Amino acid sequence: MPPLLQAESITRIYPGGTVANDGVSLSVGAGEIHAVVGENGAGKSTLMKILFGLEQPDAGQLRLEGKPIAFANPREAIDAGIGMVFQHFSLVPSFTVYENVALGSEPRSGIRFDREKAIAQVRALSDQFKLRVDPLARVSNLPVGQQQRVEILKALYRDARILILDEPTAVLAPQEVEELFVAIRALVAQGRTVIFIAHKLPEVLAISDRITVMRAGRTVGEVATSEVTEKELATLMVGREVSLGVERSQSDGGRACEIDTVSIQSEAGVSLATDLSLNVYAGEVVGLVGVEGNGQAELLEAVAGLRSVTSGEIRLKGENIVPLGVLDRRGRGVASIPEDRLAEGLAPGATVAENLVATRLGDPRFVRRGVLDLKAIRANAIALIDRFSIRVGGPAFAVGTLSGGNMQKVVVARELAEQPELLLVNQPTRGVDLGATQFIWASITRARDAGAAVLLSSADLSELLALSDRLVVFYRGRIVAAFINSGDLSAETLGAFMLGLETQDETTMKAALR
Amino acid sequence: MTASASRPDRFKVFRAELGRALVALAMALAVAFLIILGTSADPWQAFSTLVTSPLSSNRTIGLWVDDVAKLTLTGIAFSLVFQARQFALGVQGQVYLGGLCATLVAMSPIGTTFAAIPLAIIAAMIAGAAYGFIPGYAKARFGASEIVSSLMLNYIAILVVNYMVRAHLAPPNTGQLMTARFPETAVFPAIIPGTRFDLGIVIALVTVAIVWFALYRTAWGLKLRLVGHNPRFAEYAGIKANFIMVSAMTAAGAVGGLLGAVFVQGRAFGQLAIDFDGNLAFEGILVAIVARNRPLAVPFVALAYGYLRQGAQLMGFRSDVPSEMIAVVQALVILLVASSFTLPGRRFIARLLGRGEADPSTAAGGSR
Repeated sequence: MPPLLQAESITRIYPGGTVANDGVSLSVGAGEIHAVVGENGAGKSTLMKILFGLEQPDAGQLRLEGKPIAFANPREAIDAGIGMVFQHFSLVPSFTVYENVALGSEPRSGIRFDREKAIAQVRALSDQFKLRVDPLARVSNLPVGQQQRVEILKALYRDARILILDEPTAVLAPQEVEELFVAIRALVAQGRTVIFIAHKLPEVLAISDRITVMRAGRTVGEVATSEVTEKELATLMVGREVSLGVERSQSDGGRACEIDTVSIQSEAGVSLATDLSLNVYAGEVVGLVGVEGNGQAELLEAVAGLRSVTSGEIRLKGENIVPLGVLDRRGRGVASIPEDRLAEGLAPGATVAENLVATRLGDPRFVRRGVLDLKAIRANAIALIDRFSIRVGGPAFAVGTLSGGNMQKVVVARELAEQPELLLVNQPTRGVDLGATQFIWASITRARDAGAAVLLSSADLSELLALSDRLVVFYRGRIVAAFINSGDLSAETLGAFMLGLETQDETTMKAALR
Repeated sequence: MTASASRPDRFKVFRAELGRALVALAMALAVAFLIILGTSADPWQAFSTLVTSPLSSNRTIGLWVDDVAKLTLTGIAFSLVFQARQFALGVQGQVYLGGLCATLVAMSPIGTTFAAIPLAIIAAMIAGAAYGFIPGYAKARFGASEIVSSLMLNYIAILVVNYMVRAHLAPPNTGQLMTARFPETAVFPAIIPGTRFDLGIVIALVTVAIVWFALYRTAWGLKLRLVGHNPRFAEYAGIKANFIMVSAMTAAGAVGGLLGAVFVQGRAFGQLAIDFDGNLAFEGILVAIVARNRPLAVPFVALAYGYLRQGAQLMGFRSDVPSEMIAVVQALVILLVASSFTLPGRRFIARLLGRGEADPSTAAGGSR
């Protein structure tokens, strides 16, 4: 019997000459969970877009149950029984769950939208596949994990036999990941097939039956999950041995930053964070744990000076920096690596040299009496390009022409060009591949070892556990728990506090908040 | 500079852009020819007038150079705000107000002294700067769209100036729609006698140099460009985006006011008339777009565009092509040239809106 879905030597070359897929092959058997892993830029997304009809291959053949097939657009793929759930959902927030699911394929009685029938169908599907969600709930009120279920229901509603999930776990808390896996297993048990794209290897090993590994636009291997270890997979993915171990900090310096009963409101007056108090010592990393939107990012913005606080003080080496602007704070040693580095941390049209001095335009080394010292700016760029091994033709190239990983490096290079007192890092490795992860982690720990106090926020718990000396859990804008990172602290423990399922007693928390 | 090896290949970029400009120009001429073919009894003569007439005499060369000076100034004013990604379209209003203030100085007792030219220019620039400042401040303070407010201010300025000319500044009881000629001391000296080749082109080129320096050699200019490239990043880097925005619009306003002075004090006028700019101020948008907002490219674009503009006008006088068709040809030239270029940053905006859908063509570089 031929495999259910096959891709044979698919090649896709983008206008501009980037070879995204170079003779890629994929073979997915009926009823299996097939993971596709690879670093960013390995070509996973392109392959999936081709399977879903969003893009057409320049060469190669798709086969469904052994018969050659081609999809001109997603509609044809959906009709052939293929469904895809993207990392970024396409739901109508103001519609209810059942409206979103039925949208475009509504059951009708006469010309009327048969709501009762749609609700019943959605309810049946959600029971059948253990995708618990209330059909009558408004999507905008649902947490991310449930919105994802709505997306999956949408595909199932359209009779998808093959479901493609693009990095489904990236947005979920550990408990939610477990629930997603239960649903995926239920799907497969009932004869559906799941293609699962990921780059978190432990998850891949936990859920999949077989794994296809991609690297640099090619397939470099297909393995049965039971016959492979995480280390072997990582080596296949990267093409060399990787170690992501991080040394804990040795030094224990003085108190660098005190956040004292800080409250933050949005411009509309909605409370985003309440009575946050925590201290960061020189030479340590404090991890801010929480499902996104619980106040961690807002706190980092407030410390950087990008958001005003409604009450409380933020003290750097004893000095209250709340009244100071961004530049003054930077002048006192605050550095910040923002979450969306490409949208917030760079001016893509400006040159590498200009980007590297953009935060220091008050510095007399680069600007004298308002006039730029082009020589010094160029020398600064050359030195940083060398020190952070940024791959670029020269300082005068526009940042927008660099590869993603090298753009990341430009941001890190600028922020760490001088040793910061306080380093703020938000989602350091989101959307970043293994090689760049290694680089960013190493940069953070190097800054820490040189005496920086680091505040780190990340959606990736394993990252927080790997890097942090202490962890502070945020829930609904408040600090609900704090831990000293010892070997026995697990993601599950943190997850329970992140979701508000458990509470910590005052004294334990005080002790860990130091 | 010794750094040529580590620079992007500027020559190649330059060639590519020049190629595009020339293709657009050829297309515009082809379409113009078709229209002339359909409306003229002697299309070949009309077309050759369009293409060759600006060089036909010293006088026409003077007309051309005068246009080039003015197109350069308005192009520079638009480039300045566009680089900060502000779509302020107020140059026309600044030109009128600047022209009015220069006129007031020229017609005052100062007009007969040697200080007439510099003082009139300064008055015009201050007026233009103030007029540019208003939409900037309104945007920074109240969030008013600079597009709307600057356009409305244009109408106010044009109508106020027209009223002033008609009711107060024209010689009484003559029914004229223009002032008396300024004293000779207040009019720019001609560089080539008997033509319009006057101080205007010198002022334009000096302005180009100053604006280029301000944009590429000062911290203010770098901040302005960073705000233009990515305002979110500018905030994050501690640049006061609002201040930069308002100052860019004010500086552009000063250039607009300067253009007003060049209009009324140039040899073409030497007086203030109603509707004096002939919509030239607006054509700076085209010049800025084709020059990609780069000050050093502006005069060259103005040179080419001014030539076509002058050719079309002369064709209107010297051939049987109806004047409406002249306007159509001019509009088509603008359309064709402009549509082969786009305002910068479109790709970036698209990326912001559709971000996450990692564009494989950029991601594929990854960190292999």
